[in-house]
Amino acid sequence: MRLMTFAAGLFAATSLSACASLNPPPAEPETIVEVEVVEEPAPLEVAVHSGDFAEIQQFTTPGGASVWLVSEPSIPILSLNMAWKGGEASDPEGLEGLTDAVTYHMNEGAGDLDSLGFQTRMEDLNMSFGCSASNNWTSCSASMLTDNADDAMALIATAFEDPRFDEGPFERFRREQQVGLKTRETSAGYLAWKAQSQALYPDHPYARTKTDESIAALTPELAKEQMRKLMVKDRLLVTAVGAVTPEELAPMIDEVIADLPETSTLPETPDIVLPELEPADPIVVDLPQPQSLVQFTGPGLKRDDPDFFPAFVLNYSYGGGGFESRLMKVLRIEKGLTYGIYTSLSPGEHIQTWSGGGQTKNESAGEFIQGIKNEMEDLVEHGVTEEELADAKAYLTGSYPLGFDSNAKIASQMMGVRQDELGIDYFDLRNDKVRAVTLEDVNRVAKEYLNPEDYLFVAVGQPEGISVEEFESEDPAEMESESED
Amino acid sequence: MKRILTGGLAALAVFALPALADTAAEPSQSWTPTTFHLDNGMQVVVIPDHRAPVVTHMVWYKVGAVDEAPGKSGIAHLFEHVMFQQTDTLAPGEFDSIVSRNGGQSNAFTSWDYTAYFERVAKEQLGTMMELEADRMVNLVIDDDPEGAFISERDVVKEERRQRIDNNPGVILQEQVLSELWKGHPYEITVIGNMDEVAALTPEDGLNFYHEYYSPENAILVVAGDVSEDEVRTLAEATYGQIVPTGTAHGQRKWRDVPLLTEDDLIVHADPKVRQPVWSRYYNGVSQIRTPHEAYALEVGLEVLGGGMTSRLYQSLVEQQQLAISVSSYAWSDLHDPGPAVISASPAPGVSMDELETAVMAEVELALEEGFTQAEVVRARNKLAATAIYSRDSQSTMANVFGSTLAIGGTIEDVLSYPDEVRAITPDEAIAAVRKIFGPDRHFIEAQLLPSEEGN
Repeated sequence: MRLMTFAAGLFAATSLSACASLNPPPAEPETIVEVEVVEEPAPLEVAVHSGDFAEIQQFTTPGGASVWLVSEPSIPILSLNMAWKGGEASDPEGLEGLTDAVTYHMNEGAGDLDSLGFQTRMEDLNMSFGCSASNNWTSCSASMLTDNADDAMALIATAFEDPRFDEGPFERFRREQQVGLKTRETSAGYLAWKAQSQALYPDHPYARTKTDESIAALTPELAKEQMRKLMVKDRLLVTAVGAVTPEELAPMIDEVIADLPETSTLPETPDIVLPELEPADPIVVDLPQPQSLVQFTGPGLKRDDPDFFPAFVLNYSYGGGGFESRLMKVLRIEKGLTYGIYTSLSPGEHIQTWSGGGQTKNESAGEFIQGIKNEMEDLVEHGVTEEELADAKAYLTGSYPLGFDSNAKIASQMMGVRQDELGIDYFDLRNDKVRAVTLEDVNRVAKEYLNPEDYLFVAVGQPEGISVEEFESEDPAEMESESED
Repeated sequence: MKRILTGGLAALAVFALPALADTAAEPSQSWTPTTFHLDNGMQVVVIPDHRAPVVTHMVWYKVGAVDEAPGKSGIAHLFEHVMFQQTDTLAPGEFDSIVSRNGGQSNAFTSWDYTAYFERVAKEQLGTMMELEADRMVNLVIDDDPEGAFISERDVVKEERRQRIDNNPGVILQEQVLSELWKGHPYEITVIGNMDEVAALTPEDGLNFYHEYYSPENAILVVAGDVSEDEVRTLAEATYGQIVPTGTAHGQRKWRDVPLLTEDDLIVHADPKVRQPVWSRYYNGVSQIRTPHEAYALEVGLEVLGGGMTSRLYQSLVEQQQLAISVSSYAWSDLHDPGPAVISASPAPGVSMDELETAVMAEVELALEEGFTQAEVVRARNKLAATAIYSRDSQSTMANVFGSTLAIGGTIEDVLSYPDEVRAITPDEAIAAVRKIFGPDRHFIEAQLLPSEEGN
């Protein structure tokens, strides 16, 4: 394969769709369609937004769920996403892994069905349903055939009403977690993330990780309590795409959420201010393998920062544009030092970073890191050219429709817009925001954000050609850092 | 968000999914793939999908690692990279620039059986993409400058090999096992090639390969998305249709039967990076293209045996006996020639490889003896058939399914009839297929991935 997409390690690349806007106000619905609903006294009020990429039907179910739906009749599938703000960062200290325990068990038995019964029922219905969590969000998604959507949604409803958290699956969860703790000891991506988070925000909940002790302290009761805190009605967002109408979908969703608590209080996540870095050598984590994983992290921007879009466009030219980026052109195409290198913006609510990474043979690690810094310096000093800016805008605007060619993609794009509160007209406005970026904006942002001395570099492997910063790993003796020059 | 690297040897053939297709539950007839040939022999497949104004444009060449000359392993894959370099009309890097400036995404991949190039673009750009692909089908320039693009791309591929294989103990072991399983067959060398042989490939090797295999009569065009057959035909005739066949694409492939293993073998790979051992047995399997009915029966049977959480092996080894963290069985049957059928498990803490093996194989023996129930088989075959409907959600998946099937000699009808064929598998056929593969007269390669002393 010519270029592996960047799913490796902790390469959490920002998707093109997930970029920010300048806090647009929610758009006025363009039309209001009122439809009579059988058995319901009040008709469902559906606001229809006919956007450039999708016709979004926005409504609140009688049970109180706020839903964005795209009706797509051409394939007999329904994709459903649910998300609640609040995730792994809300795990109490010493109980790291609690939220993961919740999401693990959501399809492990409910009501009369034990784990095997639940899984068998899902197979009988040819459906999928599962949940997951990130630092800030707890999410569930389901795919089902519209033919038996009623039965599929009824099964999902039991998972929210009466989840079992049986001892058997819970023990299996613990065993799997223990194996995960062991295998991460030699995962280059994990080791890089660990070194970086310890250096930049060691005391923040985002830096905490699961441990043998925290996993041992988890119980089904604690997980059940946490589930009732995470999955509540007033923080629920729903998006769906498929061969259904709002009138068909609303009662199914109401059945699913009927038993959720109205609300809950979760601990606040503090904001992270990245520390001023001392002039420092890269942190090196020793790992016996032929290649070094290099990651670098510096300050980024919030989504509502007026400079976010200039930074987003600049990122394409620096390291975000596949073969068109400066880093790829120099480090892969000219020098053949790497199979791939990327940069991305992470405009999180509590931490904003600009980061990147790639892998190179141990022998060329020093040259690789120097190359990354050189390109930063060149951008600070000279900025990008008019042609680069035009190319970036052409790609970023022209490729945007590619994110809307499947039901699952549209459902997930809508959820991204909802989670970041970008407004229902975001899809329509986004390309104009990209087009409005000027060369002056971009080059000012480069000067402000791409100074090599603001970036923390981590190399995992057995890199050569760099002097190193000592890094004390939590892991066994052979993982200790070593100095080479 | 944490993501886990799941790369592996098989990732090179990343789109070689099981052939999947439509089923009876069909609310709209708008989805009807069609095919025709251009005068120069190039086959064209059109898969209409009008949900978004986007198209996936793919060119599949009927050449892959199977066709490489002795000592030239990795040339098919390296050449795939080189195809993005210079042509008579395009400077190095210009191909990518043009695609990107048109808002498109492009990539390519190589398997044992084929090489494919694709662009995903807004439908208005389809003609431009065809012009670009048609241009590099005939006008490629390979510089023999020892410091030129060919050499630096060769270095990139060496980094790719390190990243995908040499960094990953599990993939290193799999490479060794497959090489042994396919010993004497052209599949025995990994698609990306041996490091030493890749390092020795020359621009001349590239040119020879190009002239032998890259020609319209050896290629298949697949367009999925917001287009009609007529639109595609018009554009294709104006671009690909203008190319005169070289006549050098002889169409002879080195495909042949995979010899059965003649004795049991054990391959152990111990590595300081390994923290969790893995046990596997590789048996001679089957191929969908050679013996479809038998392959579908085996897929259904292995789904019942070890296909997921409800499977026999998972319920016994992970849930009841708690001897394994994971266990699975699957068949690699989407290559032209038979790939392996594999049983794989990872031990729970404190369980030895021997204990694990004994327990897994006892459960397999029990299943072979008892046979499967009707209910198990119905569930497994419905699950496989339903995956076909879900795959329709992705334009690229559909393009890949049709392209890969046709590139190894299958037909559109093979793809379309898959769900019905799978649903027709009886419990007797499913268990018979599994019994044959794991029968007492069959040999296997056992693979053990272990932590090395210094690593633990």
